Amino acid sequence: MSFRHVDQYAAVVSPVTRTVPTARLLGTVTLAAGSAALPFGAWMPLAVLFLAVLLIARAARVPARQLFIRTTGPFVLVFLASAGLLVLVPGEPLFTLGVLKVSSQGLERFAFVLGRASVALSAAVILVSTTSFPELLHAFRELRLPHVVTASLGVGYRLLYILVDELERLQRAARSRNAGTGSTTRRRLLVGITAAGLSRAFSRGERTHRAMLARGYAGDVPALFSQSWDRRSTLALVMLVLLVGIVLGGAHILS
Amino acid sequence: MEMLVVVSDLSYRYPDGTAALNGVSFAVAAGERVALLGPTGSGKSTLLQHLNGLLPATAGSVAIAGITVVPSTLRDVRRRVGLVFQDPNDQLFLPTLLEDVAFAPLNDGVPAHEAAHLARETLAELGLAGVEHRAAHHLSGGERRLAALATVLVSRPAVLVLDEPTGDLDARSRRRLVGLLLRREETLLVATHDLGIAESLCRRGVVLHEGRVVADAALGDLLVDRALLERYGLAAPLE
Amino acid sequence: MAHIPDGFLSGTVMVGTAIASGAALAVAARRSRRDLAEREAPILGAVTAFVFASQMLNFPIGAGTSVHLLGGVLVGAIVGPWSGMLVLFAVLLVQALLFQDGGIASLGANTLNLSIISVGAGVLLYRWFLALVGVGDRRRVGAAAVAAFLSTVLVGGAVAVELAASGTIPIKPALVVVGGGHILVGVVEAVLTGAILATLLRVRPELVTVSAGARPVSRPLALGVAGVTALLAMAAGYVASTRPDVLEAAASRLGLAQQESVGATPFGDYGAPASGAWAAALIGVVVVFGLGWVVVRLLARGRLRA
Repeated sequence: MSFRHVDQYAAVVSPVTRTVPTARLLGTVTLAAGSAALPFGAWMPLAVLFLAVLLIARAARVPARQLFIRTTGPFVLVFLASAGLLVLVPGEPLFTLGVLKVSSQGLERFAFVLGRASVALSAAVILVSTTSFPELLHAFRELRLPHVVTASLGVGYRLLYILVDELERLQRAARSRNAGTGSTTRRRLLVGITAAGLSRAFSRGERTHRAMLARGYAGDVPALFSQSWDRRSTLALVMLVLLVGIVLGGAHILS
Repeated sequence: MEMLVVVSDLSYRYPDGTAALNGVSFAVAAGERVALLGPTGSGKSTLLQHLNGLLPATAGSVAIAGITVVPSTLRDVRRRVGLVFQDPNDQLFLPTLLEDVAFAPLNDGVPAHEAAHLARETLAELGLAGVEHRAAHHLSGGERRLAALATVLVSRPAVLVLDEPTGDLDARSRRRLVGLLLRREETLLVATHDLGIAESLCRRGVVLHEGRVVADAALGDLLVDRALLERYGLAAPLE
Repeated sequence: MAHIPDGFLSGTVMVGTAIASGAALAVAARRSRRDLAEREAPILGAVTAFVFASQMLNFPIGAGTSVHLLGGVLVGAIVGPWSGMLVLFAVLLVQALLFQDGGIASLGANTLNLSIISVGAGVLLYRWFLALVGVGDRRRVGAAAVAAFLSTVLVGGAVAVELAASGTIPIKPALVVVGGGHILVGVVEAVLTGAILATLLRVRPELVTVSAGARPVSRPLALGVAGVTALLAMAAGYVASTRPDVLEAAASRLGLAQQESVGATPFGDYGAPASGAWAAALIGVVVVFGLGWVVVRLLARGRLRA
């Protein structure tokens, strides 16, 4: 898992980036939850949602290639996780793989889970591609997440970069001493580095705390940015919620 | 002359009992630039943390502009003392530079738009206009050092306290930093073991050794006293 | 499958788990402030960054697979359960939104499993064991390792129940495959938690021993809880083995056992003949608790002799 892409969002101006970050976040949640709540076998509604996501990606000027590449990684994980459904779902056996029987119900459920996941994954990729971390943090604040969570994420974001740098240095130092050839040594090395990482994270946190106190910190990390909702964002979000609501309602009536 | 910083008979013991400072006394006048010299472990960093009340004195006292540092005056003291830590990464902890620089004014109750304005202005003063929305890990070492400086300058402190300001800087960034500091009017207290940077910034030197002030004189005189520099680990003995 | 992706859970389960997690986090936010005061943001920020970074390091467990630290007990043992829950939630939130690791709509379920249950139950078990065996570095490490194992198995059980309640997989294979898989993950989690805690006790002991907001559990209470748990588990095991239909009926009323049809289940004949998975699971709980007890005691005794 790499985290550096998060920072490399392209500041492309598009109809999507013109909405406030909170609206983008809520839109993503709406799409993900909407597709996840579709009943099994509702293929048409799923196709409608997928089409909607593709249109939003187009509006956001996220190239299809990038959308595809970024969803591939997580998609493989979902694929592996859902492969179990092929054999775990009872039903009429379709064919057998060794001792495992693949049922037709299992196959359908497997495919449907993948379909639902693709909609959610694509929506998330659009969010990441159009929204920077500070914007996302701002959305969290606006959505009234506990202050401690947003404050920890704000401080943690910077510390993550510093910490990963330190961990990489530790790892390089260990490698240069020819440590970690066998898998047992490698495991031991990783434990050592993780423990060192934890103790360094703490020292860093304590030093940061002092630096914060020196600048008048009294327990609250005040927010600098505030963004007011505009009509465009409200309208876009309402339209999306309506669309997903209608699709979802239709799917449940039909099934 | 009005003394801005008065440290009198200051002692400090760490919770584990180690004595870090043993009766340190000195005073700095407004507008003065003083180098606090001493090798690693001489108590420089500990002393600096007393200047804005991050550590409580075990004995003795510190006063800034006539205000004695006690828990009830911390707010006033911290507004007047700008402390720049050794590692800029400790000081730049928010997702964007602008938030980092606006942190102190916001804590002081300045409204957000005004704090953002102050932060932008300060960054521009230090030649960092245009990187406000970047995160500190996307800056060069020199820029990061300047950004850390900006986070305290934004509050217009009376005295600027720097801990090893040139630790990891290349020659060009050092020159840039020195040039910037010389143009400023704040009273300056620089803790360092780097005699070069002390010489280019300060006129007066206070030498700290094992938690005591062992010399307090014009920097020009200190730097030619080879025996003294060697005794207190500030220069390697000549072969 | 520790992080449930989107697509696996039904609407009811997503909403239900989200409400439960939200309520628990609201309590956690209030209690965490009390434990850490204004050190909260920088310390929890640092721990959040650590959990995030450590989950990027993969530990090889052989056969080409690797797992990463979940960290519930480790973090909870250091910053206390309430702050620990918030840290794990912050990590899950960012993982779901920015890395598509775990679904957005299933964030509620993932939070319930990996933050509330993993940290909450984990720390409860950890403190319970500590009260039983007494204080000391090796006992601490042993208690944390066993708590980490058990909390991971509980997480696996929770995932299985959520999948079954969603009608994605029937409960029996879910428990066997997902719950069973977490036994393996739990072993790794136990080893990592123990090893990291042991290293930390050497370099920064004050971090582990002065854990935030810890109220000591009294020994008689701990023993009492141990006794009641064992009795309950045995009684349940007895009921399950003599009257298998009771639990099955309960399961079907809860909607856990819907859509089960005989014949095509590949794991149709895995269970103990009379009782099925339920009794097996309960007996397993008893065995695991017993083993945990023995391991902690042995580690503690080793320390006394050393």
